[in-house]
Amino acid sequence: MTTETDVEPLVPESAYVRRDSFIERDARSRAFALVDEGSGRELVDPFDRLESPWLQQQGVVPEADDGVVIVKGTVAGKATVVIGIEQGFQGGGIGEVSGAKIAAALGLATRDSRAGTPTSAVLLLETGGVRLQEANLGLAAVAEACSGVLELRALQPVVAVIAGGLGSFGGMSIVAGLCSTVVMTREARLGLNGPEVIESEGGIAEFDSGDHALVWSIDGGVQRHALGQADVLVTDDTAEILDAVRQAVSGKAASVLASRDLARLRAHLAVIDPGSPPSPANLPDLFATATGPRGSNRPQAVAESSGRGSAWMTSLADTVPTAVESTVIEATIGIDGVSAILLAVVPDAGSPYRRARHGEVGLLEGLVLAERVAAVVAEDADLEVNRKRPIVAVVDFPSQAYGRLEEMVGIHLHLAAAADAYATARTQGHPVVALVVGTALSGGFLAHGLQANQILALDDPAVEIHAMHKPAAARITRRTVAELDELATRIPPLSYDVRDWATLGLCNGLLPVVDADHPTGDEVALVNKQIGAAVRRARAGDRGLSGRWSVETSGRNRAATRQVWEAMTQQWR
Amino acid sequence: MQTFEFDFPGDRPATQRAHVGVVASADLEVLVEPSDGDSASVRIRTSVDGFDDVWRNVLERFFTRYGLTGSIEINDFGATPGVVSIRLLQALDQSTHDQTPESRA
Repeated sequence: MTTETDVEPLVPESAYVRRDSFIERDARSRAFALVDEGSGRELVDPFDRLESPWLQQQGVVPEADDGVVIVKGTVAGKATVVIGIEQGFQGGGIGEVSGAKIAAALGLATRDSRAGTPTSAVLLLETGGVRLQEANLGLAAVAEACSGVLELRALQPVVAVIAGGLGSFGGMSIVAGLCSTVVMTREARLGLNGPEVIESEGGIAEFDSGDHALVWSIDGGVQRHALGQADVLVTDDTAEILDAVRQAVSGKAASVLASRDLARLRAHLAVIDPGSPPSPANLPDLFATATGPRGSNRPQAVAESSGRGSAWMTSLADTVPTAVESTVIEATIGIDGVSAILLAVVPDAGSPYRRARHGEVGLLEGLVLAERVAAVVAEDADLEVNRKRPIVAVVDFPSQAYGRLEEMVGIHLHLAAAADAYATARTQGHPVVALVVGTALSGGFLAHGLQANQILALDDPAVEIHAMHKPAAARITRRTVAELDELATRIPPLSYDVRDWATLGLCNGLLPVVDADHPTGDEVALVNKQIGAAVRRARAGDRGLSGRWSVETSGRNRAATRQVWEAMTQQWR
Repeated sequence: MQTFEFDFPGDRPATQRAHVGVVASADLEVLVEPSDGDSASVRIRTSVDGFDDVWRNVLERFFTRYGLTGSIEINDFGATPGVVSIRLLQALDQSTHDQTPESRA
């Protein structure tokens, strides 16, 4: 028998044991820990009581700050706003209010930076993405957060800190992909689709979410850092994270931003054989050997393809659509004497990417959309604004691609690249119009559609715009499909009906059609006319997204968004 | 989800706002604000239905012992009575910062 003094400590008294864990802090404590002592001030705090207007109606207890903490202060002496997501509340899910807090903080930091007070932003991302109880408004808020990061990033560093334990998933992983610097711990995870979601969509053979070694080998901080998708790898220690944040905030912006480096994404994709994917352990070396763009990017004849995207594109276009890749088609249409570009993602049963054969927005699709849109922006860079070509995203896809290979390679970056390209086109003065002719779900819509100035949709029962398809949304929110349907009759953001979606402020035109699968000549002519009108509105209007939550476009359905912006603007100084 | 409202008499006014906790699994948030009058008006929203008596007992014990007055809001996500008591003590400490629970107990 040994006495207490004889026992070797199980864990040696090391720096790791003595460290001040960042993971164990809640969002408020994290946010205040990063600003210079005494400089931090919380904006739109719990006593402003801007809680979610949607949760209590569904029998879900709200939180007084809706799960997002905004602290304005200085970091290493520089004006900074820290945006902390509370992972404990509703899995860090982004709803209308929490999303508006993020977008407003980014928007005001941008305003100050333009006005001569450089203000950077730090995002503490612990989130499952869109909060399914607020579905379409969460999705809208995430699109606005993407746009907010892009506008601020052009002026000042926007730093993402993913410390764990939850990590950053869903639409917020696209936000992470847009940030100028990503800081992660080895405990943290980053991916578009969480392991549980992929397992439920694709089966346990696709992704065994219970296999933690597998999950971290793909989504974990060490791997993301090895792949160059996280810039800084830190220990779970407040001092170390603070140091990384101070350097990132004071440093110059990265010369090539990850979501703009399309040549790198293309080169990485070229070394992957989707038919025989590498193991996660081999991927960093494989990426390191990737030298230059390879692989196809040649126009092809369009295969006989089913689906509305292709049907509408063919009917609307002046030219025969060509395939940029087998799953992305392009055509042109004349609008006011300017040749507009139409882009759509279409199914290809022979795609080497198994999880993207039904028209999903996957690795290749995100990248190709980004490449095409960025090319149009570059080609038109010297044109007068009213000659810049309109870009029309024809939208009909089941979802983003849910797959292990996709997560391993980093699909969040590919979708971030597409969102970046569309948003850049919009802010450069290209009219960007989304035309929803079928389903538009979740991350796919964030990449291809939601960054548009104008969104049009066919008024058809099969047009479905949502954060997740119905059976999965029911499962995750622990409801039956019947319960979900009942709630949707009272709570517009939950509804799968396009007419309810049209009340949320995102819709600039609901276009009548009798049989959306077989449009008549008159219907095509009408849609054509409406696209022209949308292009003219886009040219005449604001290049930002704030019109989406004005009282004129969204009425009461986004009253909470307006309250958040008002309160944040008032309290900001 | 259930909502309750209770009033408890007391003589120890909250002198400043306090916010503690998170609406996370097995946790709760408490918001305390000073108010006129000599009672605590408490509103609770809880995710777990059917624990009316437990809430009444836990709160009665706390407010009888410490006499905190003010406007108190609780958003609960399934905290146990022990966690509720600890969060209330934290809120008491912060909202009456010049007084410690021990000085009265």
